[in-house]
Amino acid sequence: MEEGGVNVIDLTQADESFVKELEALGADELRECIQCGKCGATCPMALAGLEFFIKRIVHAANLGLRDILLEDSSVWGCQSCNRCVEICPMDIKPYEVIQAIRRAAMKVESCPANTYEGLRNLYRFGHAVYPKGYEERRKKVGLPDKPPTVISNDEMRKKFQEILRNTILEEIAPFPLD
Amino acid sequence: MKKIGFFLGCNIPFNRPDIEYSARYLLNELGYEIVELEGASCCPAFGTMPSLDLVGWAAASAWNLTIAEEKGVDIITGCGSCYGSLNEARYHMEKHPEIKEQVNKILAKVDKEYKGTTKVWNFINFLYEDVGLDTLKAKIKNNLNGIKCAVQTGCHNLWPSRAYPTNEDNTFFPTRLREICESIGGVAPHYSTITDCCGMGALRSTASEKSLALFKKKLDVIKQEIDPDIAVTGCSSCLLQFDAGQALLIEQKKLDYKIPALHIAQLAAIAMGADPEKATAMASIPLNGVITKIKGGN
Repeated sequence: MEEGGVNVIDLTQADESFVKELEALGADELRECIQCGKCGATCPMALAGLEFFIKRIVHAANLGLRDILLEDSSVWGCQSCNRCVEICPMDIKPYEVIQAIRRAAMKVESCPANTYEGLRNLYRFGHAVYPKGYEERRKKVGLPDKPPTVISNDEMRKKFQEILRNTILEEIAPFPLD
Repeated sequence: MKKIGFFLGCNIPFNRPDIEYSARYLLNELGYEIVELEGASCCPAFGTMPSLDLVGWAAASAWNLTIAEEKGVDIITGCGSCYGSLNEARYHMEKHPEIKEQVNKILAKVDKEYKGTTKVWNFINFLYEDVGLDTLKAKIKNNLNGIKCAVQTGCHNLWPSRAYPTNEDNTFFPTRLREICESIGGVAPHYSTITDCCGMGALRSTASEKSLALFKKKLDVIKQEIDPDIAVTGCSSCLLQFDAGQALLIEQKKLDYKIPALHIAQLAAIAMGADPEKATAMASIPLNGVITKIKGGN
C-alpha cells in the first residue's frame, strides 16, 4: 500500500460504522478535521517519504475506509512524536487517530511481527525490548548482571502480569497469557 | 541528601548500560541518592499497550508510577519514550478521573493505588531546573574544552507539551540542551534541522531504509552547517540511531564521515570525572578523539 495504493479513493468503500468505532477508541475529535495539512508538514513519516502519512490517514479515517487502514502498515510506522498534536489548529489530536486505528487493527489481530513480539516480551518479561546478551554488556561497565527491574523480581513480575491480564489484553492478546 | 527514583526502561539497561553507568555516576556526583524502583517494568512502549487501549496503557504506566509514589520520590528517565509514555499516561489520568478510577480498580487486584504524586523528569529538564546550570558548572572536573556539540533533544522530550510539567519556552526552538552543553564547557550552536526526528523507533522498525535515509538527511545538514565534534542526545533511542544507526550507514557506504555520539548523561558524567572507558563502553563510533580533546589534547 505504501507505494501509492491509496491514491484513488473509492467512496463505495466508505463505512460510517468504522468512523464511529474510531471515535470510541480515542479519536473523538476526528470529525473536526479540516484537512489543512499542517500535521503532514511536521510529520516524520511524510519527511521520510511514506506516501500514506498523517494527513492522508486522518482523511481515510474520516471516510471510514476500514480495509485500507487496517491493511496498510503506515499507522505502525508512526513515531508517536506528537508534533501533529502540538500544532493541529482544530485540536483533533491526529496521533490519537493513529492510536485508534491501531486499536481497531489489534482487535482483528492485524499488526506487524515486531509489534507482536514487543507485546509478547512486555507480558512475558515485563520489558518490550529484551535483547539477548545483555548480561555481558552490563558486566563490561561494572553493573550487576540483571537490572533491579521486574526482570530480577519474580513476585513483582507476576503482579505486573496480573495487571495486564485485567486489561483488554486478556481478550485480544495474539498469544496465550500463561 | 536529595533522593531521585531512577527509571531504567528497556534500552538503557539492556542495550546501552554505559548510559546507566553514566547516569548513576552523574547523579551521585551531583549529590543525589538514587532510589531503585524495584519491580519497575517497561513504561509501556508506544507500540504495545498504548496501541491497544487507553486504560490498559494507563494501568501499566501507573504500576511504575506507584512504585515511585510508595518510596516518596520523583522519577528520572534517560529514554524519551519512557518520558513520553509515563507523562502522557499521567496526563490522561489527571484529565479524566474516570480513567484513573478504572486504573485503580485494576491496581487494587495487586494491592496498589495510583495517587498522582510523582513527577517524571528527563535528564535535560532535571539538569536544567532541579540541579541548575550554576551547580553543574561548579562541579565540573573535566571541562569540555570547547568541543562543538550538535544537540538532539528528541521528540518525546518536547511533545505533546500539554503532558509535560516543564518544557522549553518554544518547543520548536529548543535551547536547554545547548545551554547544558555550554555550561560544562562545550560549544553548542543552533542548526536548521535541530527539531527534526532522528527516525529511530516505529519508523525504523516498519521502514528501515526510509528511517535511515531520513536520519542521513539530518546528519548531512548537521555536518554542513556546524561540523561538530560530537552529537549529544537527550534520548536513548536517538542515541541508538546516532551511534549504531550511523555505523550502519557507514557500513552500507552511504556516509563518508563520522560524528561520534553520546547521551547527555554520558557527556555530563565524563565532565564530572567518570571513567570514559565505561561511560562510552557500548559506542559503535569511536570517541577517542573527543575524549582526548576534553582532556586537553588536540
